[in-house]
Amino acid sequence: MNDNAIVYLISASILVSAFYIQGQRYIMSMIRGQLVQSILIAIASFLLAYMESSIDLLILGLLILILRGILITYMLETRMPRRKSYVFEEGVNVPYLFLVDLVFIVIAVFIIYSIIFSSLVPISQTGDSSTLLFPLLLFFQGLFLITSRRSTYTQIVGYVEEENGLVLLALFLLPVPIIIEASVFLDVLALVVISSVITVEKATHERMEELRG
Amino acid sequence: MTPGTLISILLLLIPGMAAAFYLRNIRMATVVAASIDVVLSVMLFWIMPPQGFFFVDRTTDVFIIMITSIYLLSSIYSLIYISDQNATGLKQPTYYLLMNLFAVSMLFSAQVNNYGLMWVGIEATTISSALLIMTEKSEESLEATWRYIIIVSAGVTFAFISIILIYYSFGTLEVSTILGLGTSNTLFVRVAVSIALIGFGTKIGVFPVHTWLPDAHSEAPSPVSAMFSGVLLPTALYVLYRIFQIDPLTSLFVWFGAVSIAAASLFLGYQARYKRMFAYSTMENMNLALIGIATMNPIGIAGALYLLISHSFSKAGAFYSSGSVLRSTGKKDVAGVKGMAKKMPVTSAALLMSSLGVSGTPPFGTFFGEILILYSMVLVNAIPQFIVVVISLVFAFVGINLNVSRMIFGSPGDDGEPGRLMPAVALVASIVPLAIGVFFMVVNNAVL
Repeated sequence: MNDNAIVYLISASILVSAFYIQGQRYIMSMIRGQLVQSILIAIASFLLAYMESSIDLLILGLLILILRGILITYMLETRMPRRKSYVFEEGVNVPYLFLVDLVFIVIAVFIIYSIIFSSLVPISQTGDSSTLLFPLLLFFQGLFLITSRRSTYTQIVGYVEEENGLVLLALFLLPVPIIIEASVFLDVLALVVISSVITVEKATHERMEELRG
Repeated sequence: MTPGTLISILLLLIPGMAAAFYLRNIRMATVVAASIDVVLSVMLFWIMPPQGFFFVDRTTDVFIIMITSIYLLSSIYSLIYISDQNATGLKQPTYYLLMNLFAVSMLFSAQVNNYGLMWVGIEATTISSALLIMTEKSEESLEATWRYIIIVSAGVTFAFISIILIYYSFGTLEVSTILGLGTSNTLFVRVAVSIALIGFGTKIGVFPVHTWLPDAHSEAPSPVSAMFSGVLLPTALYVLYRIFQIDPLTSLFVWFGAVSIAAASLFLGYQARYKRMFAYSTMENMNLALIGIATMNPIGIAGALYLLISHSFSKAGAFYSSGSVLRSTGKKDVAGVKGMAKKMPVTSAALLMSSLGVSGTPPFGTFFGEILILYSMVLVNAIPQFIVVVISLVFAFVGINLNVSRMIFGSPGDDGEPGRLMPAVALVASIVPLAIGVFFMVVNNAVL
């Protein structure tokens, strides 16, 4: 198996993890799914670091592993109260959401890709532009997870997944300078910390009369 | 190191140093830091830093002066407004700590010479300001905080695609280098600019990604609402402006702006709560400034700057007087407040002046800003959008001033002024746009 085939294999696995998260109603499973996804992205970064002999990509992989994989997962898991409303998200019709996901999100991403992103030539050595489909799918999966669920935790996982999509996009297209990438990671980490303050106070989000209009 | 660079660094360091007084007297340290920052921002107008880590020109400095001025007014207003009794969601020192970091993140976003770091700065504004919304820790403020975090973060994350595409197209993210190349019109740059409109537009209040805005503005404490409305949204608009300069997609931006103004004036018309009404007014003004910038002619850009600086003070005045009304009456609804003029004369004057200011009444600075922007729309032949905007502005003007008149006039209410400082700060903020308007008339006497 050559290096590019491994990149495709990892990318496909990342996408599988996104669908796995989409199919969960147990919050802990979603957080673990996010952990696996972040580790897979870190592996992709290490692989590219090896292929391109790049120290920056090696540092990037370590940052993904430590900040996104370990720290965010630890924070989400330890701060989650063991009440039922936190552990299990009720009122979620998973088959229906999957159907909507496939019909609207996946097809829409293919259209967006074919119109715009297919003509991009990746500067990193990941192969052709078809690899860009994976980060785009991951990004919109994250957005869909945020919009389709009401639990605070699920929405945080959706946000992290959206960010993972961007990391993967930069990784496959052209890695942005490491100082900026590191700042982005710290921003996301801080945002998750802030969000976890809210999760303690408010587990789910419904419409409120005072906030209408 | 040049004096200009030193000033730019001090602008960022001084609020950070105020935060170091966390354990003792951070309230006064914040006021002192904000006062020093105002002086530094005015000095920056004459002593610009050379292009390097910072990218500051006259336009940037207008934004910096806005940020430091509203930061100062809000820190003074908070001295009375934020007390241990009502700051149940955050401790007072934490409130001031976050307010200082909020100011630093906005000043950083406006000054830095790198699109990637601008993005980081805008994301940092969300981090530093989110918890400020839940200072009073009501059920609604918690929900508003969450909506702010998730909607704005998701939107701004989308804008990062635009940063990646800019880097892909130019091989650098340095603002001065990219703008020095002149406008670029490739497919990827067009996509980058369009994505930035939606991504950063989430923070600016572009329809339909504006939905966090009325919730956060209405549930945050008034000094925080003033900072959101007066300077946070303009800072995001400034970043979008710098991206827009790479490839000015005038037609797209003007259409989005016009539709957003129409939506804002429509929503504004049926708001029962006065702070939500002012939030939609912010959306209307920000999109008008977006149109001014999008026309890319000197008249439109000058109009946008006049509008933004006048609006920042007017809207701060509106939120400060709203805060005073809320403290005195305990009512959030327009219908719940009547006949303020008799017992709350200073707050009533501030509220009336600021509502006239935000709705673009002559001779306030906002009026001249609006006129210049409308004129620039005609210059770029955006006639259908011009008609939409004019009709919407009339609706917004009537909606805001009718509601404020209902609150001020009528049979006298029982509630008096909430002390002296809060109404005084509101009055000062609402007078500045009038001074800007008079300044405009004096400077442009020959033109008029």
